[in-house]
Amino acid sequence: MTSIILDRVTVDFPIYDARARSLKTEIMRRTVGGHIELREDNRRLSVMALRDVSMALGEGDRLAVIGRNGAGKSTLLRVLSGVYEPPVGTVRIDGTVSSLTDLTMGMDPEATGYDNIMLRSIFLGVSVEQARRSVADIEEFTELGDFLDLPMRTYSSGMMLRLAFAVSTAVTPNILVMDEVISTGDTIFMAKAEARLNRLIDKTHILVLASHDSATLRRLCNRGVLLREGRIAAFGPIEEVLKAYETPV
Amino acid sequence: MTDSTIEEQPETQSPLPRPLRMGEHLRLAFRDLDMGFADWRKWLLLGLNDIRQRYRRSRLGQFWITMSMAVTILSLGLVYSYLFRTPIHQYLPYLAVSLVVWGLILSIVTESCAVFTSAEGYIRQVPMPRSVFVHRMLVRNLVSLAHNALILPPVFLWFGVPVGWSLPLALPGVVLLIVNGIWVGLLLGTICARFRDLPQIITSLMQVVFFVTPIMWQPAQIPPHLSWLIDLNPFASFLAIIRDPLLGTPPPAGAWMMAGLVTVLGPLGTLPIFARFRARIVYWL
Repeated sequence: MTSIILDRVTVDFPIYDARARSLKTEIMRRTVGGHIELREDNRRLSVMALRDVSMALGEGDRLAVIGRNGAGKSTLLRVLSGVYEPPVGTVRIDGTVSSLTDLTMGMDPEATGYDNIMLRSIFLGVSVEQARRSVADIEEFTELGDFLDLPMRTYSSGMMLRLAFAVSTAVTPNILVMDEVISTGDTIFMAKAEARLNRLIDKTHILVLASHDSATLRRLCNRGVLLREGRIAAFGPIEEVLKAYETPV
Repeated sequence: MTDSTIEEQPETQSPLPRPLRMGEHLRLAFRDLDMGFADWRKWLLLGLNDIRQRYRRSRLGQFWITMSMAVTILSLGLVYSYLFRTPIHQYLPYLAVSLVVWGLILSIVTESCAVFTSAEGYIRQVPMPRSVFVHRMLVRNLVSLAHNALILPPVFLWFGVPVGWSLPLALPGVVLLIVNGIWVGLLLGTICARFRDLPQIITSLMQVVFFVTPIMWQPAQIPPHLSWLIDLNPFASFLAIIRDPLLGTPPPAGAWMMAGLVTVLGPLGTLPIFARFRARIVYWL
């Protein structure tokens, strides 16, 4: 049973290298949805990225994460994928997670295409056996042929993205976390990539997607969470949450 | 799911739940270590790739490790055997072994400072046990050691160092040093991620250690009233338990005791710090 349960999750980022004073003036004229505050000891400045966030996701949930810049969307994605363990509150994640935020991260331009399949797979948390099994599928999908034996620096940027995309989408995770929908390649390849991504999204048990594009969110998601200053401002069916987002407070 | 709440949460909210207790932190830290060992394919691949990446497209490849060590040993050996008025066939093998072992110790300590900061890309994207990055650093350094050790057989042959029964005794010394690398990596990796001045301070301190530890000079050269410099110096102990067997003498019992003591106290001191701040590392990156 794939599930994610957040119970009163609070995440704050201590700021060690900033001058409190200059930040205070910044607060006066900020137009983003974040929240900066002094902690109880009144000496350390910290950014409250998430505050008292509770939610439960189960199989079939396609969650849209909505909010202005700095409202805590990326932090929430990282909590949901297990990267951030919150200092306060608990997170329970049952199932394998794959986070598609930066496709090429972990790849080494000096290594060959085949080496990079392994490197990138490890980055995604895929086991080595699983990565080995997906090599044939990646060869076929990328159509890179003998290029896979060459160092990745010899690839065009489009080819590099093809490989990164193919590896990132080779193994279906239980939980798929994305920051904006990824797209890649020339027009012909883009259609192929979209079909592959849609198949992946269909197969995954839980999808978490942060995006500013409400059309995409309506198409892919059935539930939504609206964040405001790190708190849940609305949580429910996607249409209602989008409506809440678009209504000025 | 029809009741989507849009209203502002009341300002007077119930207090936040308590942070984790130390016992829970410790349990998670042990789980991290456990999963880290189990992920051996990952750290092996990452560690080997570090070496490959460093020497890719160079003709000699990773044998540059061997070459630069050989050049250092030869030049320092010639100069200092003259300065110390020690016969070269006696001094150079000693220096060669010392520098090879010291190279391992030094790079474990200095690279420990960066185990987490240099893995920022990984740590901020995927939930991986933190200990994986410590093991990766140790794999990298073991590969370096294997390349540096290639210098020793020719040196021993050339200068006719007798190879005796004590040779295999060096192996437990290396194992013990690597085992200590785990806690050093966890400890320095964690605190250096938080305090970014620390790596520089540690690098400078290691310079000092290099001069007060019998690497260039031999323990016999030190006046008796300064012998505590060797006896109480854990670096000297680890050096001795690996170097002495290679040169045909069993290491002093005191060195083994000191190394054993460090192996017990190190993890005991590291565990609470790593456990308490393990989950915090990612926020510092």
